[in-house]
Amino acid sequence: MISLSTLIILILLYVSLHFLIAAYAYKRFRSGRSIVSNSFVYSLSITVYCTSWTYYGSVGRAATSGLDFITIYLGPSLIAFTWWFILRKIIRISKDNNITSIADFLSSRYSKSQFLGAVITLIAVLGIIPYIALQLKAVSTTFAIICNHPSFDISPALRDSFAFRNPGLFFALFISVFGILFGARTLATQVRHEGLVAAIAFESIVKLFAFMAVGIYVTYFLFDGFQDIFTRMGTEHPVLYKQLTTLSENGEPGYANWATNLFLAMGSVMLLPRQFQIMVIENSNEAHIKDAMWRFPAYLFAINIFVLPIAFAGILLSGGNTGADYFVLTIPMNTGHYWLALLAFLGGFSAAAGMVIAESVATSTMILNHLMIPLVLRLKITESFPALLLNLKRMSIFFVVFLGYGYFHIIGDTFMLVNIGLISFSAAAQLAPSLIGALYWKRGNAAGAIVGILGGFVVWFYTLLLPSFIKSGWITSDLLDTGLFGLSILKPTELFGLTGLGMWSNSLFWSMLFNISGYLLFSILLEHTESGREQSQKFTEAFSNDQRQDLWETKRLSKPVTIIEFVNLMVNFIGEKEAHDAISEYLAEHEIDERGMVSEFELPSLKRFVEKTIAGSVGSAAAKAIVENYLSGVGSQMESFYDAFKSVRSSLEESREALYVRLKSSEIMNRSNDIQLIIKELADLLSSEFRFDLITLRLIEPDGSLSLCYEKSLLPGAYSQKQSIRPEEDFYLDEMLLSRRPQFANDTRSLKKQSNSAATQLETFSAFAHIPIVGDEEPLGVLSVYSVSIMGMFTEELLNLLTSLAGQLALAVKLVDEREAREKEMRAKDAALLRNAAVTHEMEIAKQIQMSLLPEAPPLLQGVQIASLSIAADHVGGDYYDFFVTDDRIIDTVIADVSGHNVGAALIMVETRSVLRAQINTSNSPGIVLANLNSLLMSDLSRAELFISMFYIKYDTFTQWLTYSSAGHNTPVLYRISDAQCMTLDAEGMILGVKSDVIFEDKSILLDPGDILLLYTDGLTETADSEGNMYGIERLSMILSTIHDEPLQSIIDTIYREVINFAGGVAIADDISIVALRVEHSFFDQED
Amino acid sequence: MKPDRLKHSFLDRLRLKETWVIFFILGIIMFNYPFLHIFNKNIAIFYFPLLFIYIFGGWSFSILVIYLFTKSIHTGSDNKARDEEP
Repeated sequence: MISLSTLIILILLYVSLHFLIAAYAYKRFRSGRSIVSNSFVYSLSITVYCTSWTYYGSVGRAATSGLDFITIYLGPSLIAFTWWFILRKIIRISKDNNITSIADFLSSRYSKSQFLGAVITLIAVLGIIPYIALQLKAVSTTFAIICNHPSFDISPALRDSFAFRNPGLFFALFISVFGILFGARTLATQVRHEGLVAAIAFESIVKLFAFMAVGIYVTYFLFDGFQDIFTRMGTEHPVLYKQLTTLSENGEPGYANWATNLFLAMGSVMLLPRQFQIMVIENSNEAHIKDAMWRFPAYLFAINIFVLPIAFAGILLSGGNTGADYFVLTIPMNTGHYWLALLAFLGGFSAAAGMVIAESVATSTMILNHLMIPLVLRLKITESFPALLLNLKRMSIFFVVFLGYGYFHIIGDTFMLVNIGLISFSAAAQLAPSLIGALYWKRGNAAGAIVGILGGFVVWFYTLLLPSFIKSGWITSDLLDTGLFGLSILKPTELFGLTGLGMWSNSLFWSMLFNISGYLLFSILLEHTESGREQSQKFTEAFSNDQRQDLWETKRLSKPVTIIEFVNLMVNFIGEKEAHDAISEYLAEHEIDERGMVSEFELPSLKRFVEKTIAGSVGSAAAKAIVENYLSGVGSQMESFYDAFKSVRSSLEESREALYVRLKSSEIMNRSNDIQLIIKELADLLSSEFRFDLITLRLIEPDGSLSLCYEKSLLPGAYSQKQSIRPEEDFYLDEMLLSRRPQFANDTRSLKKQSNSAATQLETFSAFAHIPIVGDEEPLGVLSVYSVSIMGMFTEELLNLLTSLAGQLALAVKLVDEREAREKEMRAKDAALLRNAAVTHEMEIAKQIQMSLLPEAPPLLQGVQIASLSIAADHVGGDYYDFFVTDDRIIDTVIADVSGHNVGAALIMVETRSVLRAQINTSNSPGIVLANLNSLLMSDLSRAELFISMFYIKYDTFTQWLTYSSAGHNTPVLYRISDAQCMTLDAEGMILGVKSDVIFEDKSILLDPGDILLLYTDGLTETADSEGNMYGIERLSMILSTIHDEPLQSIIDTIYREVINFAGGVAIADDISIVALRVEHSFFDQED
Repeated sequence: MKPDRLKHSFLDRLRLKETWVIFFILGIIMFNYPFLHIFNKNIAIFYFPLLFIYIFGGWSFSILVIYLFTKSIHTGSDNKARDEEP
């Protein structure tokens, strides 16, 4: 026996428990120790899918139409197979884009179309409001069932009171307050509502527990298990049993109906706004999907095991299937188990509450973002915007719940209400093609989505909603029987004459046909808008583009907006603290330039970030409108960079044009060594590819100024600019040289710094860029390009290209310099080689002349023995010796050394020899001969700047007198047999060719047979060893004394060998000539 | 040893995206005409209606399959593991 107070207290306690759980979860969430962020709670919260329609309705359907109720649960179990791919992708995209609802998801994917968002929201409201009404009805009805039970203790007056007749109102109030408290705390919708989710998960436990309790009680306590129920059902109601345990519809197997329901259930578990809210928006970790994939179907399985037994038990107990919808409640009631009935009631209450809470929050977000905000924006309210939005959101929760309440009140207990679950599912299914396309079909565009969804929606309205209204008696019309305009072909439930499918399949078939074909057709016929393509890429490649970023921005803000301005904008929509948190998070990951600004190329990215952040509060379509409104308000707009590279390119690759320019430029650089030609051709290339109006090249002079080196102007008339400029005079040139980075302006009107003394009159141009030419760390010059008409032409890509060309140019300059240096060196080397060859050749000639001067063999003469040796060093020598025999008794021997080793020296020697020979036949003494020679050769020698040292001897073999004279020659060594030692012969005399009129002293000495006279050139005694010691006369005398007995030739050879040994491997620097005479017994001696 | 390897290679196959799609489509086929028609008979097996047995049996089997699937997903490395599949 339950009293009213018990019931009220129980319900109040249960409601309070909701608030407590939600508040606790919220507190835990705020302190970072979430009790909600786990796969268990996630799985449970998804079962918000099981509403009171399924809680009570499953048994009702099982008792009236049989097993096909199972499709509503089987569908979701099957679609769970795809969750790891589809659901995870949806979640990934939603988190990346701050998606707030299913409408936001689709409108964001399809060009951020506000219209699409509004259409989806309208469909959702139309489809969901009756569904919410159904939940209210379930709570009201079950409350009434308990209270109206005869055993329920309540006074008739109270029973008739307003409050008592309207329990739905209190339920609606509870839901609204709860929804506002835990579903609309802040504007930022992308923040999860953990309190709300905790309450829903709790309700899921309660409804499963309550249903299982009733099922176990009915099956195992009222009856004797499954077997008992099925057997008794089979025997007591054989016809109904057959009908309920097999699939049939009007005597035909209802396979089409089954398939339709299966499909609708598959779609709705993903597409209903509350499912999207709980599964996607409230998901805290993608990994939770993994467990939810089997826990959710397992939950559905568990809650359905006892559906058929309860239905059969109800039929067996009550004798028929009237009131089967509430068997779950009435069976315990009627068998006297009030507490169990109360538990069942709370289970149904939970199922209804969870659904309405989630649905109202989700729908209110959609209404706010897609219906209200576009209106509010049009009203241009700027004051206290965040507060206004938050209140609007709270109001819409209230609005949604009470719309449902109003609906329930107006329409009441009709056909409509019974079938509204499936009608909702059918409405949600209209989003399926666009959603699948959104994830996997890049080409699917906004036009296709709008046409498809609208087309499907119209068919849905005409074939399902309208007939429902008519059948409910809400609209009186003979439309169902005669069709539109009396055309039977347009009968809503048998559209185009398609009979035998049933209302549901008929509607699903035609709506999907129009939906899918509209979507495909328009997507194929029409192209994406630019933003549509961007979004399409972002969505379809959600998994692949984690690391990828667009390489080039293709848009620019026509007027730069500062960071502060953006922050102020965000403050309006998400609040001050959140805005500052958001911007610092953004700036932490992005570069700020030297002036503390984000660069022009960063601005679009900052704009996108701002848009995304605001989207978290108001949805992406509204956020886009807000940011664009704002930009146009400050006179800025997103506009395309002038596409210098005409071809369409994927953002990751360089355009064909850029590659072409690179190729061409490298060809130019390699083709020529002429730097002026390179610059000219490069300028031609740039001006033909990019239509620059002025291209200049300035080089840095040693004094730091920039002098104009090249200029190519397409400007009409002569355009004069400074030939030489100091960098300090031009702000942008100076800046560029300091930073060594390109300085550019895409719109000269927005330049902050103008200087009159700039290199060029910037006012003439719309856009310009200075690119530094940097070689080896040092800037060499600057490449400047100007455009008169094209604003916004300098994209990051173009600047990169120009910078790279400037780098190539620097390299080319360097290479040309290096090449020139190398060539110069080569030429010098060649010349040297050539000179060497000439010298060598000359020397060869000189050598030959010289060698030909030397006597082939010493003369043979009685009384004296003569031997000679002449070894030339590497190059030509200046040594000369000769013998002249007169009267068969006198021998004149001369040894000389001409300074200089060239042809001139050799020729002088020839001359000397001729002059000498002319002197021989005279009986002049050696001194006279030398004096004559000196005076005869003087002029030639001094002209050739040559000198000759010479030693002249005259030996009379008869008298054995030796007369000698020296012209500054080395002193010969004479071995005296009588002394058994050596002496040197010396006489006064100067080198020939120094001055004329020199007197040469004649000296005479009487020789003895056996004496050896050694004449030599300085090459012999001046040969040095490795330490620089000269061989010297000492060593020569010593060796001569030692070996004087040996044959004359071998003495010379020995001496030569000794000298070579002495040098010890050091190359002989000078020629070595030796002439030796050994006195033999004279003719007279023999006669004696 | 051998059953272990079998189990591993089985789980490896399950990691393939294609396997999931096959099971999803198989599920839809098995729970539709004409398969349903085979079991859509007024026959009882151990007192249970044939269609009831088929649906609940098939349903629990599909849940088991999903359960096995989810065991083959290694959170964190799943993407990589999938990509590396030949």
